[in-house]
Amino acid sequence: MTAVLGAATSTDMNTELSDEAAEYGRTALRAFEAAGGDELVQAAEREPEKRAGLIEPLLDEIGAWELDPRAGGDELEAAAALCRAAGWWALPYPLAERLCRPADGSTAGLVLAAGTGAGVGTGPAPAAAVAGAGQRWSTVTLDGRRGVATARPLAEGPRYGAFVAELDPEPVATSTGTGTGTEDGTADGRADAALALVLPCWTLLGMLDRALDLTRAHVLARQQFGQPLARFQGVQFQLTDAEVERVGVEELAKFALWSVQAGHGDAVEDALALRHAALEAADLVFRVTHQLHGAMGFCDETTLSWISRYSQPVRRHPLSLSATRDHLTRRIGRAGLSGPFAGPAGAAGAAARAGAGSAAGSGEEGQPR
Amino acid sequence: MNTSTEDLAEFRAEVRRWCREHVPADWRRAQTVAGDAEFVAFQQAWFQELRTGGYAVPHWPAEWGGGMPAAQQVVLYQELAAHDAPRLVLGFVSIHHAASTLLAAGTDEQRARHLPAILDGEIWVQGFSEPEAGSDLAGLRTTARREGDGFVVDGQKLWASGAAHADWCLLLARTDPAAPKRRGISYFLMDMRSPGLDVRPVRNAAGESHFCEIFLNGVVIPAENLVGPVNQGWQVAQATLSAERGMTMLELAERLGNAGFRWLVEACRGPAPGGGRLVDDPRVQDRLAELETEIAGLRALCLGLVERHEAGTAGPADASVVKLYYSELLQRTMDFAVEVAGLPAHTELRKPASSGWESGAWVLDFIGSWEWTIPGGTSEIQRTIIGERGLGLPREPVVPA
Repeated sequence: MTAVLGAATSTDMNTELSDEAAEYGRTALRAFEAAGGDELVQAAEREPEKRAGLIEPLLDEIGAWELDPRAGGDELEAAAALCRAAGWWALPYPLAERLCRPADGSTAGLVLAAGTGAGVGTGPAPAAAVAGAGQRWSTVTLDGRRGVATARPLAEGPRYGAFVAELDPEPVATSTGTGTGTEDGTADGRADAALALVLPCWTLLGMLDRALDLTRAHVLARQQFGQPLARFQGVQFQLTDAEVERVGVEELAKFALWSVQAGHGDAVEDALALRHAALEAADLVFRVTHQLHGAMGFCDETTLSWISRYSQPVRRHPLSLSATRDHLTRRIGRAGLSGPFAGPAGAAGAAARAGAGSAAGSGEEGQPR
Repeated sequence: MNTSTEDLAEFRAEVRRWCREHVPADWRRAQTVAGDAEFVAFQQAWFQELRTGGYAVPHWPAEWGGGMPAAQQVVLYQELAAHDAPRLVLGFVSIHHAASTLLAAGTDEQRARHLPAILDGEIWVQGFSEPEAGSDLAGLRTTARREGDGFVVDGQKLWASGAAHADWCLLLARTDPAAPKRRGISYFLMDMRSPGLDVRPVRNAAGESHFCEIFLNGVVIPAENLVGPVNQGWQVAQATLSAERGMTMLELAERLGNAGFRWLVEACRGPAPGGGRLVDDPRVQDRLAELETEIAGLRALCLGLVERHEAGTAGPADASVVKLYYSELLQRTMDFAVEVAGLPAHTELRKPASSGWESGAWVLDFIGSWEWTIPGGTSEIQRTIIGERGLGLPREPVVPA
């Protein structure tokens, strides 16, 4: 894998986060820890109305509001690293959504709408874990159609709903007057869709990091049959299978981020591919980490239970596994993804989809393995 | 003991008639909002209803009120599931684990005292696991010290499902701390009203607290409540654990086949998000066919196990095969059901009490299915048993630290 990725960098693709972004992620991790760490999500669940007041000053302190992910480069990478740090602590806040808020501050943030149109009645109403973190939210569909939606008040406490609120789309102003937003999306809109898919996957990645870290510690400490569980190969192999999944998601997350940053023609497809891989990995990682924690892993006394419960919104919204797979297969059709091994950025897949008919990855600079 | 095709058809007609007359029409709605007291009252009433019909303990020996041939039991469980009858949740440990322990290892006095009482509604809980003794059950630390005519028990039990409602507890405690760990354990029947006993619920990720901690401080158990010889409780426990792994599965397998899977197919007949019906999607058809094949395999395995158990020819790993097969299949089936049900299923936050592991509240069923690979011997333990006792493979080497 490394050698192949190395070859791909000859086309100017560098998927590693910059040192600055990585350092920023570490700073955020420490700042969240100093502010309470695992206690943050528990406090927010106890007193949901206080969650914004609990988290926002903290984000202010580390300069999160100054990041503009749309500016690309270091800022986008720093935003990704920040989301990953938030995932580690299951930070009870819609950070990825808030980081993508429009520059004019007209809404609290950006939420991907699963339907095909931005307007009323064109698909399932958008929903996200945004309760209490803002009223009006920008929305964008996978086709790049923009809209605005208002968060409904919560019917259930966060114990069950994990702060997920449904959003009521507002009628959208179009060039032909007020309609339902059925016009084709713009390139900016599509870039926003890719961004709105990719950043939450970085949050989920942070949750996978944490679930595995907690489980590694647990199987090393938990003694049964006179030795740590970690000494049983049956236990080791389960954990290693989960780790392999996590590493795969990490690589894809970096690639999809690069794709957004490069304005890649396939950025939305790359983002969907990342989401698909991340959701499959999450299923396996949480199944294994719960199994190895035993019954205790389902109880409030273990951090894993909190991470697992608060991973649910990001795994279900805006698209769950089968819906993600459905969108991805429909969009890539028989052309496949360009992936990291294509020729110049995005040429092969995008061209194939445009009707050139060549198989993905057969670009002129295809690298031998 | 007639189990010819005609007799079975007649029996089926009889059970159907009974179900139509006795299964409460709207129990699901009532049990979805039921508090603890209503749940207990409903379970007790339903158990008596089944008892009157002769269906409460079909797997017990005839002299104690059972004696139904395995082939008829299959029919009974099929029809109960197909008529969406409530499950015996509260009395599960009583009619399976407690009864099989008493039948296999109890004294005549113990059987005479408790088996009729169980039929009258006595509720039992299993007090096996401890904070430091999960998979390594034989590592348990709760002690029972001989004192006069009885034993004095100190320690802590964990994951005791339903302990809050229990009258009696199947308790494992260490009576000889000096002996090798499996040879120093004794098996007791403990009255849950004994002084020195404290039960605390543990809340789980699904928001319920059906499993509990039991704290034991100087609890006195009379010597007559010892099951089997002192220090041979491990052997007695094997009998009850194997009951949980094997015999209880017949009902669960028929539930999965005749209730859970049927509802899943119905759900697939509903409208798909993009138009049409889910069941018309070839991928959905593939998955359903795959699951149905596996469920048919499970049902055959369960029936085979019960028949071999009755004939005394069951192999040492047969029950483990069934438990492993059921628990992982249940998880896969519920996982698919969650996909089929889509996002609206996530807003269904209450599952009816008294329902099976598959209730149609698919997300909660899915979360619930996760626990199946942990209690009663984790999947890792089942695989070890199948490897070592079933296939005769060597034990995993212990690497010196």
